[in-house]
Amino acid sequence: MGYLQDSQTTIYIPPTCAHRVTGTWSHAAGQVVDTICQSVNDANQTSKLTIPLMIFSNSNSQKGCKLKSVEIDYEITGAALEEVTAVINKVTRGADTAVAVVTTPAFTYDTGHDTAAERLAKDQHKMTLTITTPFWVDNDEYVLVELTINQAGDTGVFELLGAFANVTLRL
Amino acid sequence: MGYVHDTAMSQYIPPTLWHFVTGTFTHAAGAVAGTIAINRAAANETSVVTIPIKLVSNSAAAKGALLKSIEVDYEIFTAEPTSITWTLNKVTRGADTAVASVAAQTKTNTLSDANAKTVEQHKQTITVTTPFWLDNDEYALLQMSIVAGAGGNTTKFLAAVANFTLRF
Repeated sequence: MGYLQDSQTTIYIPPTCAHRVTGTWSHAAGQVVDTICQSVNDANQTSKLTIPLMIFSNSNSQKGCKLKSVEIDYEITGAALEEVTAVINKVTRGADTAVAVVTTPAFTYDTGHDTAAERLAKDQHKMTLTITTPFWVDNDEYVLVELTINQAGDTGVFELLGAFANVTLRL
Repeated sequence: MGYVHDTAMSQYIPPTLWHFVTGTFTHAAGAVAGTIAINRAAANETSVVTIPIKLVSNSAAAKGALLKSIEVDYEIFTAEPTSITWTLNKVTRGADTAVASVAAQTKTNTLSDANAKTVEQHKQTITVTTPFWLDNDEYALLQMSIVAGAGGNTTKFLAAVANFTLRF
């Protein structure tokens, strides 16, 4: 009953939702007063920061959210890092007693982040990952964006400000 | 203006949004590469894990989200805990200076108490006996109480998914 299609819907994922492995991460103020971030300490380490995309899904085909791109706002302070790379993991949940299955949909970086040097530079960043073949998220699926952040030998600090999932919403 | 009534909606709730009391909980990779988890370390204690059911609500009657069921994915390692108990609470927020009130909701579980605590990958589905619309002064919390016992078990919490009808 009813029908709604909006191809310009965006869903904000705050940095407090991010999953952090390796490094000492803390809630901190962003570089701009009154913004918030997840900040990792300055150390010789490689961290994994995973952003869970909390978007609607739907058990009917081609309904709910069609994921098209993800924008990630972050800042690198102090010095450039060694590496910042992204992977999109689409997780299909397992039935009871079965493991999940992970696939990695193809995407492209925006032109300001399609080289390693651009992604790791000391700067304010708005990195867009555009999914090559946008997909509808089924009710037994969810999507994670995983960032590998290598600070080896640097004095740079990575701060996640937020992420934005751009979707077509169809209900 | 307009009308939407979709009975097949779901909302993913990542473990980073969950609330953990008693125990040592850390961000960790899931057992499957590319997944995320919150890991509960082995200890003989009772941990209470609460999942906030993040849905839209609405101040008009019978609009917004009608909560029907919640699926929870988790993994138990090494040994079985003594028990896992599930409680679904609906919280009605208090006015300024007033406390909230909590009402446990009747529900059923797809996994029996014995099957939900085996050393295995688990997908437990909590079905609300009488689905309810969330008013704008209400929210729902699913509580998982784990009596770990002395067996040295650990738990990884992977994901929750709320299934609901959306009506605008």
